[in-house]
Amino acid sequence: MDLRHLLFILALICANDSLSASDDLLQRPQISKCRSPEMETFSCFWTAGNAYNLTVPRILQLLYKKSNEEDWKECPDYITSGQNSCYFNASYTSVWTPYCVQLASKNEIHDKKCFSVDEIVLPDPPVHLNWTLLNTSQTGIHGDIQVRWDPPPTADVRKGWITLEYELQYKEVNETKWKELKPRLSTVAPLYSLKTARDYEIRIRSRQRTSEKFGEFSEILYVSFSQLGIGCDHCTEEVEFPWFLVVVFGVCGLAVTVISIMLSKQPRLKMLIFPPVPVPKIKGIDPDLLKKGKLDEVNSILACHDIYKTQLYSDDLWVEFIELDIEDPDEKNRASDTDRLLSEDDLKSHNCLGAKDDDSGRASCCEPDIPETDFSASDTCDATSDSDQFKKAAEKEEDLLCLDRQDNDESLPSLANTDPQGRHRNTQSENSLLWAPFGDSLESPRPSVHTQMSNQNSLTSTDFYAQVSDITPAGRVVLSPGQKSKLGRAQREGCTEQNFAVDNTYFCEADVKKCIAVTSHEENEPRVQEQGYNEDGYFTTESLTTTVANFGASTAAAPSSETPVADYTSIHIVQSPQGLVLNATALPLPDKEFNVSCGYVSTDQLNKIMP
Amino acid sequence: LKTGLLLVTLLVSHMLLTKEGVTSMPICPNGSVNCQLTLEELFDRAVKLATYIHFLSSEIFNEFEERYAQGRGFIAKAVNSCHTASLTTPEDKEQAQQIHHEDLLNLILGVLRSWNDPLVHLASEVQRIKEAPETILWKAVEIEEQNKRLLEGMEKIVGRVQSGEVENEIYTPWDGLPSLQLADEDSRLFAFYNLLHCLRRDSHKIDNYLKVLKCRLIHDNNC
Repeated sequence: MDLRHLLFILALICANDSLSASDDLLQRPQISKCRSPEMETFSCFWTAGNAYNLTVPRILQLLYKKSNEEDWKECPDYITSGQNSCYFNASYTSVWTPYCVQLASKNEIHDKKCFSVDEIVLPDPPVHLNWTLLNTSQTGIHGDIQVRWDPPPTADVRKGWITLEYELQYKEVNETKWKELKPRLSTVAPLYSLKTARDYEIRIRSRQRTSEKFGEFSEILYVSFSQLGIGCDHCTEEVEFPWFLVVVFGVCGLAVTVISIMLSKQPRLKMLIFPPVPVPKIKGIDPDLLKKGKLDEVNSILACHDIYKTQLYSDDLWVEFIELDIEDPDEKNRASDTDRLLSEDDLKSHNCLGAKDDDSGRASCCEPDIPETDFSASDTCDATSDSDQFKKAAEKEEDLLCLDRQDNDESLPSLANTDPQGRHRNTQSENSLLWAPFGDSLESPRPSVHTQMSNQNSLTSTDFYAQVSDITPAGRVVLSPGQKSKLGRAQREGCTEQNFAVDNTYFCEADVKKCIAVTSHEENEPRVQEQGYNEDGYFTTESLTTTVANFGASTAAAPSSETPVADYTSIHIVQSPQGLVLNATALPLPDKEFNVSCGYVSTDQLNKIMP
Repeated sequence: LKTGLLLVTLLVSHMLLTKEGVTSMPICPNGSVNCQLTLEELFDRAVKLATYIHFLSSEIFNEFEERYAQGRGFIAKAVNSCHTASLTTPEDKEQAQQIHHEDLLNLILGVLRSWNDPLVHLASEVQRIKEAPETILWKAVEIEEQNKRLLEGMEKIVGRVQSGEVENEIYTPWDGLPSLQLADEDSRLFAFYNLLHCLRRDSHKIDNYLKVLKCRLIHDNNC
């Protein structure tokens, strides 16, 4: 029973299989392709498929219709193109006209295709392939050949009806993969560097120039160098240079070398192979300078380069100065302020606060410039605009310090002469002189660069201050030699409560007191200064004093010329760049007291003092 | 510098994309008065331009078909009525050989002129297709430009070749703009499809006619 069941099932399966197999074989007739080899004729090919009924042969017809026609016509030529084909000769062919063809039998349409002839162009293969030797290499191992061929005879290339493009493929005889050349329009092609010991095969196919599809391949052309007697039979098989290995080993070796150098303790070798990257160098600044920390020199250089603000010249600096002066009281009397100011000896070593002389950039900046243009060291330092100097108190200081270098003993007396014409110098330079002592009164005092002090012993020994004998409205300041007054100096420091409050550094008590005194005049100052600047020519301190008095200055102190003690007219520098206000008042202060105690006043003490 | 680099990149990519550029350098720069190109040079340029235009047309059609036509089952209408169908142009080699070269030149001019307007609108309307690829947009613009140049060149050639003054009235107007602006997207895309199909065909015609003329007039049927 089981066996029969099994057999039955098997039979069913077999029957099924056979049936399905025959179903696969039964295919509908199909138009396989339509093709025009030269755009003058075309042919359509179809597959007959399997007749449902094998006994009755099916009659297939190919009907065609042009786009502008109504009726379907039958194929004019079933024979020329072979079996299951239809050939349309030139008279039936209209190139850019849309056609439709359909495969039908009796009343049944099996397949339909629509196209236009220009779309189905597949040229015949080229003919008459041949090759010639161009040359061989010196060793005779390689050779170049030139392949020529003719276009397919059916294509009318000469009249330009069709333009063909050719693609050449070649390979060694025992290879499987063909190498291709780029499609070209010409019917010649060179092949370079073929191995003479090997034989090659070449084939070519063509297509219409603006089409994508190629026609069939031509017959294969065999290339054999031995035929020409060139082949290098006895040549050894050329070993290809093992580029890959070379590259790999080269890279490894290089890496090992580099690592060994890096790890080696030989600094010289390291320097040689890996030279140190040069650090950026600012013209005029020696990197060593920066490293060693001689900030005073650095300051001078930077100031010369006009990068620097007044911070360097902090109040504390002046405090320091004051202190040192106290320590060397003799120096006070040594020479006039002017002389000291302009003493070249003291200042030579401190060009622009001691910048090194060997630095070219800086030298150009702070070159001891020349007398008539004296006080124009600032100009050389900062060649651009004069107005800048107004703005920056630091520049003034720097200028002064630059000026210090100058041999300008003469110039200073000439200053005192207050000769308007003789002195056609820049406003700024004069101002700079005036401003310089008062440093960065605009700025809040910064922690002083104490190290500077040590370098500037000689500097401190000189008196930086010159007495202001006259002030021009335009801002020119006429200085005359006078005794310095630390107090005055201190007075001129940035004397606002704000500054004191903000900054935590120490202040000389004298400074503080001065500030208190001076602040009362603050409101008056802007007006004074404006007036001063608007007028032409100089105005004496007397007039200024008067002016100050007019504004209600409580202290109508005698001008500096009258008060021998007060060499300085206190200047309160205001924030405005144009600001220059002289306070003729010389507040009597117990110098000594302050001098002695003029060390550092803490902020707390300051606060006590300040109202 | 950045602009220059961008221009160079665009130029290189353009040349790579098109694979085949109009590379002929003008022997007579624009504006030169006394310079005159030979007829051979004029024909060379014209053929190059025509081939380029046909190449672009094929590409744009293929791209459009690939992008928009596949899913929609567009097949170029069997009765594909291109607007230039009314112009009687040679349909096979025989006719092309027999037609007089002046007539053929005028026909070419007529076809080019008839395509001027549709190309302008093609370039502008194709921008409105949703998510049109950049290559299609660019090609449409390029075809329009090159067509204008070819028209100019052909007018020059006609001026040289023609003996007498012949009024060239060969022209067919194009009224397909509304179809390119249909609200229904399928219909609109079908209109584009047909227009691009017609463009490909006509550009092929022009290319062929010019080659035939060139071989006939310049090389004496021995290209």
